[in-house]
Amino acid sequence: MPENDLEMMNDRGDLGVGEDVIGDRPRRYQRRRPRQVVPDYLDWKDVELLRSFIPERGKIMPRRISGISAKDQRRLAKAIKRARSMAMLPFVAD
Amino acid sequence: MANRTYEVMYIVKPDTDGEKIEKLNEAVGKLIEKEGGEVVRMDDIGIKPLAYPIQKNYEGHYVLFEIQGSGQEILELERRMRVNDMIMRYITVRVDEDRKKADKIRSKREARSAKRARFRQTPEQTEAAAAEA
Repeated sequence: MPENDLEMMNDRGDLGVGEDVIGDRPRRYQRRRPRQVVPDYLDWKDVELLRSFIPERGKIMPRRISGISAKDQRRLAKAIKRARSMAMLPFVAD
Repeated sequence: MANRTYEVMYIVKPDTDGEKIEKLNEAVGKLIEKEGGEVVRMDDIGIKPLAYPIQKNYEGHYVLFEIQGSGQEILELERRMRVNDMIMRYITVRVDEDRKKADKIRSKREARSAKRARFRQTPEQTEAAAAEA
């Protein structure tokens, strides 16, 4: 029993590891970069910055991983979509 | 009159010769001025690889305009760009509101940090407090 308790503690440590309950089994995820800072004026032409929020597959990084605020995520998604439509970023990257 | 700032970007086919592109850019500038707008910035970015092919082209010539005006010139400009065969893609983004918001956030943050600095003890004060104790 105490062993089990310890494991639970480790799961919710300050390292930014959490659980998402999807279906019957909790799925573990790693908060890769907590408290990311997004600039006040998010330029849709700044491909370098936008790329830091796009994993290899080309999808927009979910908020639970990037750790940015909901407001920033909305702004970021818009900027990424604009850049995509101008072929500065891929819709899908294989 | 409403004064708005727009960013207009378009991608010209890469096989178009430079002279034609220059002429096109000039025509765009003239059109904007004729419609009562003002070109703040014109940037011929040049040929860049595309993230995905457009009309079987793998690169494109990017041109960026920053325009100030009422929005009337955008209407006409977009109509012209739509029918132009050289232009593969275009986008218009209104930026003045977002910039204003960003400025507001920045000034608010600066005001807050200034306030905080005022209340923070200066090194001399800390020393005086230590001497008293």
